[in-house]
Amino acid sequence: MKRRTGLFALLVALAALAVVAAAYAKPAKQAAPVAAVRSAAVPCSKAKIAIMAPLTGDAGFLGVEQLSWAKYAITVQNKLLGTKIGLYQGDTQLDPALASTLAQRYVSDPKTMAIIGPSTSGAVVATGPTLSAAKLAAISPSATRVSLTIGGDTVGNHFYRVVPHDGIQGPSDAAYMVNKLKAKKVYIVDDQETYSTGLADTATVALKAKGVTVIRDSVSQTVTDFSSIVTKVPGDTDVVFLPWQQPPRAQIFAQQMAEQGKKAKIFGSDGTNDPGKFKFKGALVSNFAPDITGIAQDKALIAGWLKANPGDKVGSFGPPTYGATQIAMLAIKAACDAGGGKVTRAAVLAQVPKVRVKQWILGDSWGGFSATHDPVGAKFYIFEIQADGSYKLVG
Amino acid sequence: MSTEPGIGRDEWVARSEERRQRGGFFGPGADLFMRLPWWLRWGTFVLVIALIPVLSSSGYVQRVAFDTLLYMLLALGLNVVVGWGGLLDLGYVAFYGFGAYLYAWLDSAQFDIHLPTLLAIPTVVAATAILGLLVGLPSRRLSGDYLAIVTLFFLQAFLTIMINGNSIFGVNLTNGANGIAGVDPISFFGHRLPVAHLGVFNIWYLYVALAFFVVVLVALRFVNDSRTGRAWRALREDPLAAELMSMPVNRLKLMAFMFGAATAGLTGALFVSLNAGVFPESFALPLLITIYAMVILGGAGSQAGVVLGAILVNVMLEVLRSPQHSRWVFYAAVLAALLGIVRPWKWLAVVLAGTVAFGFAVREVAHAIHPAWTAGATQGTDSVGRLIGHWVAVPTTLGSGKVIAYVALIAAILALTQLKGVKRMLWMIPTLYLGAFVWENVLAQKPEVTRFVLLGALLVGVMTTRPQGILGSARVEIV
Amino acid sequence: MSNLVQFLVNGLTLGSVYALVALGYSMVYGILKLLNFAHGDVYMIGAYIGFGVLTAMGGAQNPAISIWLVLVVMFVVAMVGCAGLGVAIERFAYRPLRNAPRIAPLISALGVSFFLEYSAQLLFGASHRQYDAFSFGGGALFFKGINWGPLHVPLLRIIIIVSAFALMIALMLLVNRTRIGKAMRATSYDREAASMMGIDVDRVITITFIIGSALAGAAGVMFALRADASPLMGFNAGLKGFTAAVIGGIGSIPGAMLGGLLLGLFEALTQGYLSGRWSDLFVFAILIVMMIVRPTGLLGKADIKKV
Repeated sequence: MKRRTGLFALLVALAALAVVAAAYAKPAKQAAPVAAVRSAAVPCSKAKIAIMAPLTGDAGFLGVEQLSWAKYAITVQNKLLGTKIGLYQGDTQLDPALASTLAQRYVSDPKTMAIIGPSTSGAVVATGPTLSAAKLAAISPSATRVSLTIGGDTVGNHFYRVVPHDGIQGPSDAAYMVNKLKAKKVYIVDDQETYSTGLADTATVALKAKGVTVIRDSVSQTVTDFSSIVTKVPGDTDVVFLPWQQPPRAQIFAQQMAEQGKKAKIFGSDGTNDPGKFKFKGALVSNFAPDITGIAQDKALIAGWLKANPGDKVGSFGPPTYGATQIAMLAIKAACDAGGGKVTRAAVLAQVPKVRVKQWILGDSWGGFSATHDPVGAKFYIFEIQADGSYKLVG
Repeated sequence: MSTEPGIGRDEWVARSEERRQRGGFFGPGADLFMRLPWWLRWGTFVLVIALIPVLSSSGYVQRVAFDTLLYMLLALGLNVVVGWGGLLDLGYVAFYGFGAYLYAWLDSAQFDIHLPTLLAIPTVVAATAILGLLVGLPSRRLSGDYLAIVTLFFLQAFLTIMINGNSIFGVNLTNGANGIAGVDPISFFGHRLPVAHLGVFNIWYLYVALAFFVVVLVALRFVNDSRTGRAWRALREDPLAAELMSMPVNRLKLMAFMFGAATAGLTGALFVSLNAGVFPESFALPLLITIYAMVILGGAGSQAGVVLGAILVNVMLEVLRSPQHSRWVFYAAVLAALLGIVRPWKWLAVVLAGTVAFGFAVREVAHAIHPAWTAGATQGTDSVGRLIGHWVAVPTTLGSGKVIAYVALIAAILALTQLKGVKRMLWMIPTLYLGAFVWENVLAQKPEVTRFVLLGALLVGVMTTRPQGILGSARVEIV
Repeated sequence: MSNLVQFLVNGLTLGSVYALVALGYSMVYGILKLLNFAHGDVYMIGAYIGFGVLTAMGGAQNPAISIWLVLVVMFVVAMVGCAGLGVAIERFAYRPLRNAPRIAPLISALGVSFFLEYSAQLLFGASHRQYDAFSFGGGALFFKGINWGPLHVPLLRIIIIVSAFALMIALMLLVNRTRIGKAMRATSYDREAASMMGIDVDRVITITFIIGSALAGAAGVMFALRADASPLMGFNAGLKGFTAAVIGGIGSIPGAMLGGLLLGLFEALTQGYLSGRWSDLFVFAILIVMMIVRPTGLLGKADIKKV
């Protein structure tokens, strides 16, 4: 017994010693390879872009759509620009901790020059310190939490986004509801996910400021039978606002509203924008871009994507991913040209705000990011769903 | 006479293979290794892990090693409850989450408390142990599956509270779905360990985790070697007999819960300190399933087994993320399986040669019928990919043929398990080719989905052939 | 007050689907003492088979034959397909583990569950597949039905409730009035004694899986008619079905039906009268208390172990 206790004590002491030594040791030896990775100049033909999106799990449909557009962008732009940039695909599984490991993977791979994503705001927060310190540009096509670029916990100057944040969408949707729909009572249902609660909060504030009665409710993401929520909606409600990221669920909700004879108008946020899935006649959808399929300059692009992805339809998460990938590739090309055939991460990061695109996939042209790394002049377009499922611009 | 455990059969017989001298190529070496004292064996293992930063300067590899250490800690904790105590605890991840959130509360801007780590971690461990005690209290009356059900409900309730905890009676406890960010990193005596240097993982976190792993491993091992461990074993094998022999069954169950919970709480604290934040999505059911897979795959009841299980599952999931690596892993695994199953060398040669020849033949025939049937390209442009591309027929598009080929492959493999002898060898040839075909055309397209498919197949395969896990010892359960 | 009746109807619809899934869990547990976590994924495959049949017949908008016939065919094919899947799973993933410690088939079931979920994502894609039941016969399923004032019970719900009850009654008749039902009941009491009395236990187990999986397939189609089909839908449905089986007493067939209906009513009422946010928590809290007070569930037999 004495021997064992002694042994145990020895092991614990060794462990403690190791830990204490760690605290005081200066990690000088590590600095050299780290610095080497960060400022490594990589020949342009080996440059890679990594996309971090939830490819499996409950949000799999979102990530898979974004991935398909990113792949398409790589093919198209490589041909146009004459580059040979490759794509890494990373599955965050909707878990910010896993996203953090994934970010580490790309930071440690010297060929990675830019990140598309992370798609979810939680992952942006989790990966922020790592990517920011490594000076790896991250352009997200779907992380819309306001605090990422404005307010208390900004994540670092490596992060850019090509879609407007919730702080713009909430008030703009609220304004439409009050001005055009003359709503006096609005019922908001969030799905307990950060995008949803954030948007619901900003919309509530904007609506209450205009004197509208707001009733808040919440469903968990696993619920698909909303009958009881629908029953609860008062008969005199004007609008039901659904700040969700799942178009099929919005469709189900709308159908269940109709089957119970509720007359309130359904208003979906940009996360529900998907003509293939959410096609309930009379519902309204807001989106940060006009309907892509209606933009003349995108016709060839969309035709190409449809050909490469037979059986799929154009959703709302894909095109911004194309745009983000395009910006990243243009930044890399510019850095390559300036660096004489070799490119570094810092150079790419410096080029990102300078990128200009004449024919931006979401309409008009891309004139650069704002001071807070958000898109400039963002506005939201409101669509009304017609009888044949098409989206008509109404505001 | 069959040596599989079964009702009416002897456990001594079932464990006969553990007493045999190990055969095979690695046999004598493994025997020698097992005869060393336990601390030397584990010491070697810990040394190997400690040398990882020396062997690889990639921050990613070190970070994956850290993640694996966390999983190993979780597996050790679950091993106490499930492997030693025989209690099916399906709410284990709730303790992990509780430890994580508690550390976040004690060391972040949420309530503006900033305890030094040396105070915070013992607090977290103690508090989680108390939570384990509280959850274990109802377990005294419940047995087996009912305990599993109650603990599962407890986990679901915990998750609901964490996700909606941003306005419990007006207090923002958990910041809701956003999670708590900005948690302080580990600090010893005032000196902070930054989480990363210039974005690259700080290896000292690996050493901190390793130190905690050693402490937990040794502590649990000593508990298991004591009379508590013996009592746990008795409780697991036959609770009624244990009670009749005057063992304090209730107290033992509570102790098992507490040890498991304490380990999970410690792991949660480590997890949060590195990620500098806690997010509720990390603690959902998929994590529970992963940890259970690790523990049972490796062998519940054996510490080396669960550690091996944790390494196997986590490293497999990480390696299979990249298409090139996953191809290597896939073909290597198939070859290894063949080596294991097909015993006389000449039969192995026949099967391999037959598969290669069959493959080329099918490809030529397919090309002759319709050139588009072989005009596609395999994933990845490395040399192995191109080589395989000459052997496997890769059509340009494979619409609904995907489903047919996939289902056909599953049927072929299942049929393989039913055949014996020469027929089995011959059936292997088209099955192997079909497997390569499905891999190149269906599985390799989406590596992130494929890795879970392979994990599921691995679980089923290992469980049906070796229910005790890789390093577990065969048990006969008293029904 | 009028809302109450609507809530009850909502709960009944929800509960019927849960009951069908719970039946599969209960039956398998009763005979094999195994928590079949792959059951939810059989349900998911049923929904996808239904989608396949619907698309093969032209889709909701241009069905090749009368819409009612399409519905029947969807149900039948899904039930048959799922029955086959269930048999295959039992044969290859559970039968080798009949005599192994109880946790081994549990992990095997988890493996099968993973395998099915991610294979579905691999083969059918991650996006949700919509039946588009709204367009069936020009919206007949959603707008025709009982409409008394504030109470709305659309045709689709009536179909679901009626067919679920029909299946449950058929099952009760099978179990209580036929020889094979007697064999099933005997095997669930004591497997060894039943085999000694000349009952082919393997066959009984296979039939149990056939019935349980067929019911899950039907439930999948019913669910997808009101919602949609996605690879991970089985996960949640499995959890709910399992909860329902536990409430009613796992191992007991009437218990599973009762538990399913109760769970559906519970959820509908808590979502209706409390916030949707806390309804989950409330349900789980009640369940935990119930399990501690009466672990065998409402209709379960007290677990008397012979020493």
